[in-house]
Amino acid sequence: MKGFLDYKDGNSIFHKMNPLSKLFLAVVLCAMCFVSSNIYFVAGVIVINLLIAFAAGIHKMALSILSGLLKLSIVLFIVQVLFVRSGNALFTIPGLNLPITDDGVYFSLLFVLRLLATALPLAVMLSVTQMSDLANVMVSKLKIPYKYAFAVITVIRFIPVFASEMAGIIESQTARGVEFDTKNIFRKIGLIIPLCVPLLISSVKKIDSSAIAAELRGFNRRTSKSGYKKYPFGGNDIFAVLICAVVITAGIMI
Amino acid sequence: MIEFNNLKFMYSGGKKFALDGIDLTINDGEFIGVIGPSGAGKSTLTYAINGTVPHHYKGDFYGAVKVNGLDTVDNKPEKIAGEVGCVFQDIDAQMTATIVEDEILFGLENFGCPAEEIEERIDEALKALRIEKLRTRSIGTLSGGQKQKTAIAAMIALRPKILVLDEPTGELDPQSSREIFELLKELNKKYGMTIIVVEQKIMLQCEFADKLLVIDGGKAVHYDTVEKVLEHSEDLEKMGINCPRIVTLARMLHENGLYDGVYPAELDSAEKMVRSII
Ligand SMILES: Nc1ncnc2c1ncn2[C@@H]1O[C@H](COP(=O)(O)OP(=O)(O)O)[C@@H](O)[C@H]1O
Ligand SMILES: [Mg+2]
Repeated sequence: MKGFLDYKDGNSIFHKMNPLSKLFLAVVLCAMCFVSSNIYFVAGVIVINLLIAFAAGIHKMALSILSGLLKLSIVLFIVQVLFVRSGNALFTIPGLNLPITDDGVYFSLLFVLRLLATALPLAVMLSVTQMSDLANVMVSKLKIPYKYAFAVITVIRFIPVFASEMAGIIESQTARGVEFDTKNIFRKIGLIIPLCVPLLISSVKKIDSSAIAAELRGFNRRTSKSGYKKYPFGGNDIFAVLICAVVITAGIMI
Repeated sequence: MIEFNNLKFMYSGGKKFALDGIDLTINDGEFIGVIGPSGAGKSTLTYAINGTVPHHYKGDFYGAVKVNGLDTVDNKPEKIAGEVGCVFQDIDAQMTATIVEDEILFGLENFGCPAEEIEERIDEALKALRIEKLRTRSIGTLSGGQKQKTAIAAMIALRPKILVLDEPTGELDPQSSREIFELLKELNKKYGMTIIVVEQKIMLQCEFADKLLVIDGGKAVHYDTVEKVLEHSEDLEKMGINCPRIVTLARMLHENGLYDGVYPAELDSAEKMVRSII
């Protein structure tokens, strides 16, 4: 999980786009993979995702998501192929009398490509968007109550804090002779669970003092108009609309 | 000005008073160092100043606290926040944003700072803490000292008359700790801001504070200029507060009738003391 969702600094057109345009683009890319059932189109969407990731300088992250999903995709493909019976048999697995059909191969491939194509857009967009910008724009433009946006930001903010706290606890336990680097996963889980209690207590305390600190700084006075940063749409967003238009047209035509 | 009027406070469910008869006044523009053993009630004292005691932390509250004339029981902490900026002990809990600039913006936006003034306030706050370069940095990537400065900057931007800090250098190395105190002294001198800082590092307190407030068992056992409080260094040692060596030396000299001047709080006055006896 480390590094996932982290903002990657940069100066690309995708960094400068309005957060809403990026979100819209990501949703369109995902949705069109389901509107169209053409494997060439869905494969094309994957390529577009990778091109965007490359332009934004986060292709390493995008490729690591794809390679991470590769094993799962292969398993899913095999399972799917074995279960689809409709269509013309391409060949039959000898001994099992299990036909592999052209429909089966097509739909299994489509299924796997859709999985890969829809895993990318949101991850790519979130990596080039500051969480706070996304929250701010949702509050000012979509009129989402600030409280919800704040809650989401707080959770994201606390993940690394709690992670380092957990690491600290494990370190101090290791110093006392507890061996966490055991190969046995069940034993490891058994060792870690008791440590979650102090972590939980400190989390509750932290969240409580966090609420007090926010309130002292006028959290309750905040309205949807309080945001100082404005997020106007500009030239970069036309580019997002353009990509969307191309993808939607292609998806419907092909 | 902060006036404590025989303040007593016991947390609900607590067995003894966390604050037990605090009766003192902190004047405008003073730099107050608060010291005392762990569990003495130092943090609770800071809560009493900003009104979270008794508004958030419930319990038995007797006496009164007035911050620039505002009674902390009658006024909401939000109102008191206009007078007092607070940096809590848990710095991660203090933060509200993911970027330094947004952290400073948060309070300004909430309290309705006019848009045309906001840039100026952010620049001023960043400059006062010398963290202009961190403006667009992600808070998760900051060092402890940088986080501390960001939290202070977020408070400064609101231009409070009083700044309260609870163990701001608890997790910092000596160099960064000193830097924080130097910045606080600068805010104190330049803007006349009242500084109240809870801090165990007595060397820093002696060097930078005007007055020391020693808390033990919820009571203000000493509250005077640094030099005067150091005369009770034996008391402090009993509480586990290790005074500078030079103070112990001064006490020994006093006891043997070799020196009757003021207790030295920092190097310059220590030198004076040594010169006076040779
Ligand atoms: N939220 C709380 N609820 C109940 N008791 C508390 C709470 N916070 C502190 N105390 C108690 O009040 C006393 C003073 O604590 P505190 O002000 O945190 O001391 P210090 O900051 O000097 O270490 C301690 O005995 C502590 O156990
Ligand atoms: Mg404390």
